Amino acid sequence: MTAAKTLDPRTKLIMVLCLSSLAVFIQDIYVLGGVLLASFVISVILKGDLFPAFKQVKRLLLLIVIIAVIQSLFAPAGKTIITIGTFPLLTTGGLIRGAEFILRMAVIVVSATIVATSSSRETVQGLVQWKIPYEIAFMVSVGIRFLPMLTEEIRNVMLAIQLRGVELDKIPFRKKLKIYSYILTPIVVGTVIRAQKLATAMETRAFRAYPRRTSYMTLKMALPDYAIISFSILVSASVVVVYYM
Amino acid sequence: MFAIEVRDLCYKYSSQERSILDKVNLAVKKGEVVAIVGLSGSGKSTLCYCMNGLIPHVYKGELQGDVFIFENMVKNMKIADIATRVGTVFQDPDTQLFSPTVEDEVAFGPENLCLDREEIGHRITDALEQVGMTKHRLASPNHLSGGQKQLIAIASVLSLKPDVLIFDEIMSQIDQIGKKRIKEVVKNLKKSGKTIVMIEHNLNNLDAADRIMAIQEGKLANFTGELSGSGAVI
Repeated sequence: MTAAKTLDPRTKLIMVLCLSSLAVFIQDIYVLGGVLLASFVISVILKGDLFPAFKQVKRLLLLIVIIAVIQSLFAPAGKTIITIGTFPLLTTGGLIRGAEFILRMAVIVVSATIVATSSSRETVQGLVQWKIPYEIAFMVSVGIRFLPMLTEEIRNVMLAIQLRGVELDKIPFRKKLKIYSYILTPIVVGTVIRAQKLATAMETRAFRAYPRRTSYMTLKMALPDYAIISFSILVSASVVVVYYM
Repeated sequence: MFAIEVRDLCYKYSSQERSILDKVNLAVKKGEVVAIVGLSGSGKSTLCYCMNGLIPHVYKGELQGDVFIFENMVKNMKIADIATRVGTVFQDPDTQLFSPTVEDEVAFGPENLCLDREEIGHRITDALEQVGMTKHRLASPNHLSGGQKQLIAIASVLSLKPDVLIFDEIMSQIDQIGKKRIKEVVKNLKKSGKTIVMIEHNLNNLDAADRIMAIQEGKLANFTGELSGSGAVI
């Protein structure tokens, strides 16, 4: 059996919590690089689906430049690389801040692939066994389940508009915004109708009939889970302490 | 004793001006399969909602008349009690399935009824056997065909062990192979003594029906072979 199957989803959630906390608290590019490497290694061991994560991070790369320029303009630090008159447009400090932002985002995206190695039902069950109300845990799971359907619906509406002869790539930004406002209505209406149908199906299957519910699936932590949880918390706490000391 | 009895039922949605159901009367015997046909907007689904308790427990509006399930007045029953007596399967399988595996999906209802783990396990096995989907127990519903998804939706209702089943146009989005399998399941459920109300607009899907009723402009009557509304004929 693989590590992804044997590890309790709660163990994965704690690992992810530790990694993302480090990504938020640490402001050092080298340590952040280390945190990203750790997330990456864990995801590979658990056979996480990293390819979509790479694609998402790739989309954010342009943000490095934007953040680097904003940081350079409002909080200049380090050597000036490009100036406009007396204003520093790009500094080494700004570039480092931009890179740190991307590293943080990459840690969060790669962490998500770690959580995704458990099914949404297992994750919900883990949260329920942590005494988080089932309704909240279930809502998260349904959100994840219906997200691809929403994406598909958006794509279909966009296609429908393009099939009517609108070339979205070639029209000016202002006009594009107007077209997006037309798209929004059918998507919101479609989502509300789908949510109503889902709620109806759930009600007819006795959802919230009683204040509590039983569960066919039960999770039980084993020794490796406790060991990994202890190790994750200990390492994260040590990194934070050493960093702030 | 009737499995379902509808007496002088009138219903008006709060957002609409006229009643969608107008003095509807219906009596369905235990083990009987009754089909209700009608054009879009004729009130078929609303009648369904009245029989499974969604009206008045979930959807509010102006309700007159009564619905009885085995002599129990639906409006006085708790949602949990209704769910164990009336199971409903809807048109769109995608909005009825929300769990990552078939097993989780079928377990959802019994879990809500606070049954113990062993009993839930038995119910999952039984329900999947009844619809012939046992080998897909650990599969993701997302990877099944439309017909298979609808069979899982039926199984997830059967795991609640209801006496009455309401099928609200369950074959309208399904291909021919899927329809054939669903029809077989409906026939087997009839043989096992389930009371079934089938809401349909395609007469070809009503092989198992003992009798056919037609709903037109909120009024229910015996089906005479044709429904005329906006010139449409079923």
